Amino acid sequence: MATVADWGPASCPWKTPMADVAMQSPAVKAPTARARTLRGDAGIAWLLTLPAILAYCAMILLPLLAVLALAFTDYEFGARSFRWIGFGNFADMLGDRSFSASIRNTVIYCLFVAPLSIGIALGLAVLIEAGARGRAFWRAVFFLPVVSLTVAMATAWQYLLHPSIGPVNALLRMVGAGTPNWLGSSDWVIVSLGFIGVWENVGFNLVLFLAGLTAIPRELYAASEIDGARSGWSKFWLVTWPMLGPTMLFVIIITMTRSIRVFDTVQTLTQGGPNNASEVLLRTIYQEGFHYFRFGYSAAITLVFLVIVLGLMLIQTRLIDRRVHYG
Amino acid sequence: MSGIVLHDIQKSFGATKVLRGVSLSVAQGEFLSLVGPSGCGKTTLMRIIAGLEAVSSGAVQIAGRDVTALRAADRDVAMVFQNYALYPHLTVRQNIGVPLMMRRLSAAERIPFIGGLLPGVAEKQRTINADVANAAEMLGIGKLMDRKPAQLSGGQRQRVALGRAIVRHPMAFLMDEPLSNLDAALRVTTRSEIVALHRRVGASTVYVTHDQSEAMTMSDRVAVMMDGLILQVGTPEDIYTNPQDLRVAAFIGSPSINMLAAEVAPDGHVTVGPVPVGVGASGHGPAILAIRPEDIAPHATGIAARIEHQEYLGESLLVHARVLDSGEQVICRLPPEKRRQVARGETVHLRPDPAKALLFDGDGRRLGSRVLSLEDAHG
Ligand SMILES: Nc1ncnc2c1ncn2[C@@H]1O[C@H](COP(=O)(O)OP(=O)(O)OP(=O)(O)O)[C@@H](O)[C@H]1O
Ligand SMILES: [Mg+2]
Repeated sequence: MATVADWGPASCPWKTPMADVAMQSPAVKAPTARARTLRGDAGIAWLLTLPAILAYCAMILLPLLAVLALAFTDYEFGARSFRWIGFGNFADMLGDRSFSASIRNTVIYCLFVAPLSIGIALGLAVLIEAGARGRAFWRAVFFLPVVSLTVAMATAWQYLLHPSIGPVNALLRMVGAGTPNWLGSSDWVIVSLGFIGVWENVGFNLVLFLAGLTAIPRELYAASEIDGARSGWSKFWLVTWPMLGPTMLFVIIITMTRSIRVFDTVQTLTQGGPNNASEVLLRTIYQEGFHYFRFGYSAAITLVFLVIVLGLMLIQTRLIDRRVHYG
Repeated sequence: MSGIVLHDIQKSFGATKVLRGVSLSVAQGEFLSLVGPSGCGKTTLMRIIAGLEAVSSGAVQIAGRDVTALRAADRDVAMVFQNYALYPHLTVRQNIGVPLMMRRLSAAERIPFIGGLLPGVAEKQRTINADVANAAEMLGIGKLMDRKPAQLSGGQRQRVALGRAIVRHPMAFLMDEPLSNLDAALRVTTRSEIVALHRRVGASTVYVTHDQSEAMTMSDRVAVMMDGLILQVGTPEDIYTNPQDLRVAAFIGSPSINMLAAEVAPDGHVTVGPVPVGVGASGHGPAILAIRPEDIAPHATGIAARIEHQEYLGESLLVHARVLDSGEQVICRLPPEKRRQVARGETVHLRPDPAKALLFDGDGRRLGSRVLSLEDAHG
């Protein structure tokens, strides 16, 4: 054992665990000088990371633990006491019509917004990239919705989609089509919000795709042309699509998480109505927590939300990441 | 039937003229190197032959067919890029197979999974795989077939790029500095492998390189390009011993050719300073005498120069000297055993071999010259 302690740290100084084991073993009477400095180094290392660790604990870990704890209580804001109710909150959720509506609506919203905004953004990005000029212009045009305040833009949408005086319905009337009450009918409201979501997300995704496209080496397109790819279509599938893999993955994850977090358009335009038809997850959390002050229940829903987001992250890192990075 | 023929190709990018009237013909099965300093338009010319770039004016013929208006995919040429341009997401097998897939399978048949179910696809896929295996065999990369390009060394990637080029037996090969990313030793071995491959495949090849020793050793003919013009096309020997332009003479050869200000007297005798060099020319006036380092040596009489330093290279000795009258630098390549006979600071008389001396006018154009006996010159 002593010999291990002697040569271990010297020949491979990074093997601190070895040295530690050796030091704890009774066969070693006093830690060697080298081992002492090693322990000193580790101490300094911990000291240096301390601020980051403290900040992480205070800002992320503690709130998270608080939410985790709250989720298993019936705590209400202002109440003097609370009881541990185990999985009671989660059991309540199963029977909660507004919660199940919000889950359903959020899923529909995501499945609507993500594919459309990704597909449209990719199409636009490829077109803009292929165009000879005006790249900066188009990029700015489509990015505007991202930088504009959703709450402010919601007013514009409210006007555009107004059932009687809105331009959208005026147009539909002109061509003789039906004029739905976009934000007021439970059949249409989630689709209308979805369109607004697409409008918001396309610009963001577009910029990401444009960056991804710029990173593809021009020579691959030259090579594909010489290899016999005549149409833009075959070049797209031979070069663009696979080379965009990492970008695509990132865009999917970002769009999914962004649309799961939809809140501001719903809150300003429909308040979850009519009849819960546009109730979404984040608004339910907000409503339970800050409207009804049921902190425990709100925390439980937050936990569900976190699990969904974490699940998406896991899919990214475990399943897909490996298949889109080549080497 | 000729391989590649270029008629007066001009190319401008906006206001910059990159190619200023290039005409060139590469015979069927010929290996032609294109050399020239950086930025002279070599890559541009290759891209024009390949169909990746449109000409501003002029015409390109490949195998007797005017392809000026055709796309790259329809020209039946293969190109090896400087950094190989392999598809990083495809395996070696798939990379080599791409040109065959694109040509032999329809768009529908190329769709993953579904395409394979269409009638006849399995059979086509089999022939593609067989051809790919053949090409890989020829290049000795059979064991790497299932790796991705990122898992290959530079030399192996280079072979895959070559495989992708030869697999479909194109009419012409274009290679744009294919060895420049390899280390020196690998470059020399790959050089001879490419030559052997060319013999086996037998397609017309245009090979761009910075490296004149590559051009000289590999090619049937060398084209020297400068400032968007081809200055001279000829066999390596022709280019070296008989350059038609001073810039060609200066570009080819290492160490580069010596240039001495000379004068053609009215009687046609050429002198460097006061010294007659035994060369006669027609016309008279100032001229430039160019002489390769191995064709000038110390002699009893000649151009007086002081030795500045010498480099011992093992197989030869390079003596750097400065002409006393004009201050021009001259390099002589001498047999190594002369090392003891010349010393730094010493003054020697250098005599260019009149049979090897090249004469150029003030614009760098080659002048006709003939050997005079020195007695005549002293006349
Ligand atoms: N797409 C382009 N737009 C504008 N100028 C270009 C373009 N491509 C090349 N050029 C210019 O044309 C000239 C010739 O370029 P080219 O790439 O053909 O040189 P080269 O001989 O291949 O040089 P090197 O040996 O360094 O590869 C250069 O001055 C370059 O700046
Ligand atoms: Mg080049």
